[in-house]
Amino acid sequence: MIVVKNVSKYYGNFCALNNITLELHNGVYGLLAPNGAGKTTLIKMLATLITPSQGEIVYDGKNIIHMDDEFRALLGYLPQQFGYYNNYSPKQYLLYLAALKGMGRKDSIRIIKELLEKVALSEVGNKKMKKFSGGMIQRVGIAQALLNNPKVLILDEPTAGLDPKERARFRNLLSELARDRLVIVSTHIVSDVESIANEVIMIKHQEVLYKDSVENICNTLAGHVYETTIDYGHLDAFRNRYTVLLEKQESGEMNIRFIHKGAAAEGWLSVTPSLEDVFLYEYRDEIRMEV
Amino acid sequence: MRILFHEIKKIFTWRILLLLVIANAVLFFLRIEFHISHFPNGRPSLDSYRIGIEMISKYGNDMDEEDRRDFKKTYEVQVQEANQYLQSNKEFAEAGVGTYEDFLNIDWENKEQAALRDKIMFEEQVDIFWELPERRRLMDFHETKEARVGTYKNGANPRQEARFDEMISAGHYQVYPEVVMENFKEFIFNVAIAILVSVVLIISPVFMKDRSRQLLDLQYTTRKGRELYKTKLAAGLISTLGVITALLIVYFGMYALNNTEMYFNVPIHMFIDSFSWYDPTLLQYMALTVAAIYMLGLVYALLAMSFSSMMPNYIALIGIQVPFVIAMITYGLTYLVTRIINIEVPQWVVPTSYSGMVAVSVLFIIFMWKREKHRDIVV
Ligand SMILES: Nc1ncnc2c1ncn2[C@@H]1O[C@H](COP(=O)(O)OP(=O)(O)OP(=O)(O)O)[C@@H](O)[C@H]1O
Ligand SMILES: [Mg+2]
Repeated sequence: MIVVKNVSKYYGNFCALNNITLELHNGVYGLLAPNGAGKTTLIKMLATLITPSQGEIVYDGKNIIHMDDEFRALLGYLPQQFGYYNNYSPKQYLLYLAALKGMGRKDSIRIIKELLEKVALSEVGNKKMKKFSGGMIQRVGIAQALLNNPKVLILDEPTAGLDPKERARFRNLLSELARDRLVIVSTHIVSDVESIANEVIMIKHQEVLYKDSVENICNTLAGHVYETTIDYGHLDAFRNRYTVLLEKQESGEMNIRFIHKGAAAEGWLSVTPSLEDVFLYEYRDEIRMEV
Repeated sequence: MRILFHEIKKIFTWRILLLLVIANAVLFFLRIEFHISHFPNGRPSLDSYRIGIEMISKYGNDMDEEDRRDFKKTYEVQVQEANQYLQSNKEFAEAGVGTYEDFLNIDWENKEQAALRDKIMFEEQVDIFWELPERRRLMDFHETKEARVGTYKNGANPRQEARFDEMISAGHYQVYPEVVMENFKEFIFNVAIAILVSVVLIISPVFMKDRSRQLLDLQYTTRKGRELYKTKLAAGLISTLGVITALLIVYFGMYALNNTEMYFNVPIHMFIDSFSWYDPTLLQYMALTVAAIYMLGLVYALLAMSFSSMMPNYIALIGIQVPFVIAMITYGLTYLVTRIINIEVPQWVVPTSYSGMVAVSVLFIIFMWKREKHRDIVV
C-alpha cells in the first residue's frame, strides 16, 4: 500500500502540486487530468526521481526515499519520455535494464522473450531500435517496466503513440497484470482508463479533485446530462446558457450533449453521464483556454 | 560487475573509437612521427648516437679519469686514421691538405679545398670526418665539466646549490651525448598531448550521453538506482587506464624503432643535458614520465566526468574543457612530464601540482556525486 501524505511540489516558486493526500492499494488507478495538471510531477515523486517539497510518500509505512533500493526493487516505471540507444536491439536494451534491476542473465533472457511476445515485438527483437516507430519504442518501454515483475507499476501516458489495436491490447495486458499489484496509469485520454481502472484520480488546480470509482465519479453529474437536437441557428445562444459537452451535425440540425443543473426543458433527453462528460465538465475552463 | 561491463561497452562506441583513431593519426603525423623517422636526425646526430653507444659499452655508467684518457686516445688514433686517409688521397695531397689539422683549417675562400671538403663530408659521408668533430665536442665537455657545474651553481638558490654540491661530491658530471635524451623528451611530450586529448575525447560523454538522451529516468528507478553514477565513474576510470595503456603500447612500440635500449641503464646525470634533482637511469626516467602521463590522464578524466555531469550540452562540455587542455599543453606539460625532475623547477612544484590537481578533481567529482544523489531528475 502506498500513502501519499500531504505532498506538495514546487518548481522554484511555481506550485505544481499542492497538499496531495492519496491512499493506493492493489488495483488499477487511472490518473486522469489535462496537460500540465501535474500528473508527471506526481508520478516522478512516486518513482523517487524527484523529492516532494513538503510531505512524504510511504510504502507499507516506510518512506520510499529511505527504502532506497528496497522500494525500487518493487517498482516498474514507464516514463512519459525515455531514451534508448539507437544501436541497441530491444533485446540488448532490455538485457541492460534487467542488469540494472539486479536480475540474473538467464532469467532475463527468458523473461525478455516472454515480454516481447506480450507487446508483439518478438519479430523485431534483434533489430536495431533506431529503425523503430514511436509506437514500437513505446511498447519496448512497456516491456521494460514489466521486467522485474513489479509490485508497483507506474505508467506515465503509456498509450501515447499506440494505434487503436495496440491500445486495446495494452488495456487487456493491464487488467491481466492488475490482479496482484498496484498499477498507476496516467493519461488524458478517458477511454484508456474508463473500462479498466478500479479508481480514477483527477487533479484540478494542483489538488485532488476526485479519487473514486468511475461509477461514483460519473454519478456526480447524474441527472444533469442531457441530449437534444436544435437548429443550427440557435447554437450560439445555447452555448452561452449551458455547458456543451458534444456537438454533432446531423442533416442540417445539431445533436447536442450538455449539462444543466436545473429543471429539464421539453425535448431534452436525460442520459447517463460518462467519465468523459465529467472530464469535459470539470476541465471546461482549462480545455477552452487550450482551444 | 555485469553493469560495469555494460557501462564500459557504452563508452567505446564505434564512433568514439573512430574519433580516437583519427585524432591520434593526426597528432602522430603532425607531432610524433618526426621524432621516430628522423632519429638520429642526420649528421652529426647519428655519429653522436653511435659514439654514445660505444662509450656506454666501454665505460659503463660512470666515466672516470682513465675512461676519459681512453676516449682521448681513441680520438688521437682516429686523427691518425684521418691523416692517413688524406695522405693516401691524391686530390687532398695535391690541394695541400695532408693532415687532419690542415683539413680543419680549410679556408672557405679556397674553392678547390672547400669542394674537396664537401665531397668527403656530404657526398661520400666518410664516417671519421663526421665522428672526429663530435668526439672533439664531447672532449670539450669533458674538459669543462667542472666549470659548467660551477657556472650553474653560481646563479643557484641554496637548495639547488646543495644539489650541485651533492653531484660534484658524487663525481656526477655530464659526459655522454644528449641525442637520445633530447629525442625521448620530444617524443614523450607529444605522446602526452595525444593521450590527454584522447582521454578527454573518450571520457567527456560518460554522463552527458545518458542524461541528454533521457535515460536517467529509467536507470535511476531500477534497483541499482543512482548508485549507477559511481559505476559509470568506475567505468570511466577503467576506460581511461585502458586507453592510456593502449596508446602507450602503440607509441612506445614505435619508439622501439629508435633503438635506444643501449642507453636505458645510464643514469641521466651522465647526459649533456639539463640537471636534475634526482639520479634515475634513463629507463627509470621514462617510467617516471609514463607514471606522470597516467596521473594526468586520470585527473583529466575526473575533470571531464565532472563537467560531463554538469554541463547542459556537448558544445558547452567541449567548450569548457578546451582552455584546460590548451593550458596544460602550453604551460603544464613541460613541467609535469618532461621537466618533472629538472633542477630549474623548484623541487616542491611538481609534487604539489600533482597533489593539488588530484585533490581538486577528486573533490569535484565527490561533490558531483553528492549532488546527483539528491537532485530532481527533470528534463
Ligand atoms: N522542471 C520543471 N520546472 C518548472 N516547471 C515545471 C517543471 N516540470 C513541470 N513543470 C510545470 O509543472 C506543471 C505540471 O507539469 P507536469 O509535467 O507534471 O504535467 P502533466 O500533467 O504530466 O502534463 P502532460 O499531460 O503534458 O504530461 C506544468 O505547469 C509544468 O509547466
Ligand atoms: Mg506528463
